[in-house]
Amino acid sequence: MMRSVGRIVGGLALLALPLVASGCATVKPWDRDLLAEKKMRFTPHPMLHAIDEHIYFSKEASMGGSDIAGGGCGCN
Amino acid sequence: VQLETPKGPTRLRETLNAAALALLLAPAASAETGVTDQIDFTTLLYGEQSRAQVVEPVVRAMRLFPDGQALSCQIGIDVITGASPSGALPSGSIETHTSASGRTIATKAGDIPLVKFEDRRFALDGEWTKPLNRILTSVLAAHASTEKDYQSLGASGKLSVDLMNRMLTVSAGAGYNHDTVFPVGGTPDGLSDGTVLHPGRNQKKVTNYYLGVSRVLSRQWLVGLNGSRTNESGYLTEPYKVLTIENFPRGVPAGELTDKRPSTRVRNSALLTSVYHLTDDVLYASYRYYKDTWQVRSNTVDLKYRHELGRGMYLEPLGRYYRQTAASFYTVGLIQNQPLPDFATSDYRLGPLQTITLGATFGFQIGNRPAEWTLRGEYIRQTGDSHPANAIGVQQTFDLAPTLNTFAVVLGYSFNR
Repeated sequence: MMRSVGRIVGGLALLALPLVASGCATVKPWDRDLLAEKKMRFTPHPMLHAIDEHIYFSKEASMGGSDIAGGGCGCN
Repeated sequence: VQLETPKGPTRLRETLNAAALALLLAPAASAETGVTDQIDFTTLLYGEQSRAQVVEPVVRAMRLFPDGQALSCQIGIDVITGASPSGALPSGSIETHTSASGRTIATKAGDIPLVKFEDRRFALDGEWTKPLNRILTSVLAAHASTEKDYQSLGASGKLSVDLMNRMLTVSAGAGYNHDTVFPVGGTPDGLSDGTVLHPGRNQKKVTNYYLGVSRVLSRQWLVGLNGSRTNESGYLTEPYKVLTIENFPRGVPAGELTDKRPSTRVRNSALLTSVYHLTDDVLYASYRYYKDTWQVRSNTVDLKYRHELGRGMYLEPLGRYYRQTAASFYTVGLIQNQPLPDFATSDYRLGPLQTITLGATFGFQIGNRPAEWTLRGEYIRQTGDSHPANAIGVQQTFDLAPTLNTFAVVLGYSFNR
């Protein structure tokens, strides 16, 4: 169990390395106007996203990835 | 989610109703204190061709405090009616299937048998976001939901830290859900003829771990990489699904056995996401890889493009492609007089399948109110293996995984006060 958790963390760390280290470019606070917009969030509409996740969870065998798994459902 | 006879625990339902009332009667925001309330309504209308229909209204109230704290409460109700595949194979003649609650449905010759059902699900979710200092933020969440044969209670926590002048955010979290399954009429033994039903409740425990990194790559580009692991244990079987026992070599149904799945499942997934601002429009892209100990593997690609139309309006076309492999114990049927396997299911959702979604979201404002309307329409097409290699006899002539066409419409309304 701990070994597989370690493997996952290690794998993610390896994949995330380019993200962490990618360039040294810094976006200054006064240049973050676009990033600050609501539409620049990964999920700008959390409720629409949750509805989609619920639909796919009930029709497919997969789940997870985007956040901590939400509430249980007897639909699958 | 099966069958009728509303027998669910009423105490939790009453609590949810009381919470819903409290949510709707929440006091108005005070402009003097800098507190803002955000109210969101959504309603889902979902219809599968000749199968299930769902109506799901959800309301969420969120209070935003000047110090960055946010407190939210969400109430949702699902009303589900229709029919779903029982797992049995077509017989070649007209069949009548009766559910445990006595409702029957006739199946045409050559069609996969369906079982009627209806259910209501009440769900209550709460979330508290609190900045702990300049770079550290915590999120605590709780969940409760109840159906006539299923109940779920859960809690989760997440900690996020901003690093490198807020160019990088690392998040880690964990959650726990304690679910209870109490099938209508009782729980059948796995791989039995289903005539012996055990009263009582079955437990299901779900533990979830999450680790995520998001990175600002440029003034216009944000990417994220998340990994999650979910451990499930307890009663993971679908109590209403069955498998057909087939006569060999003719493939004619000779009986039915109940579904039986392992009592543990470990799911792992990795998600790569990108949000790119094209100075006006925004492109969202994501890819997820999933695998679990039932040997299901899947790949999901999701794309959205938000095109600004001006005056607060936008159109966001979306597309999603999903493909999964079958669980190791998935089978279209069992052969008569052969030894039974340890586990078996004919639930098409654990078979090989792919899903294609096409749709669009239209966002707009009415008048000068600081409120946003969204209207999303989606077409979901799900296909499986219609003629699997291990189908025998007469089953080779039937479509064992007919295409499922689904239409979904979501109307959303969001405003601050």
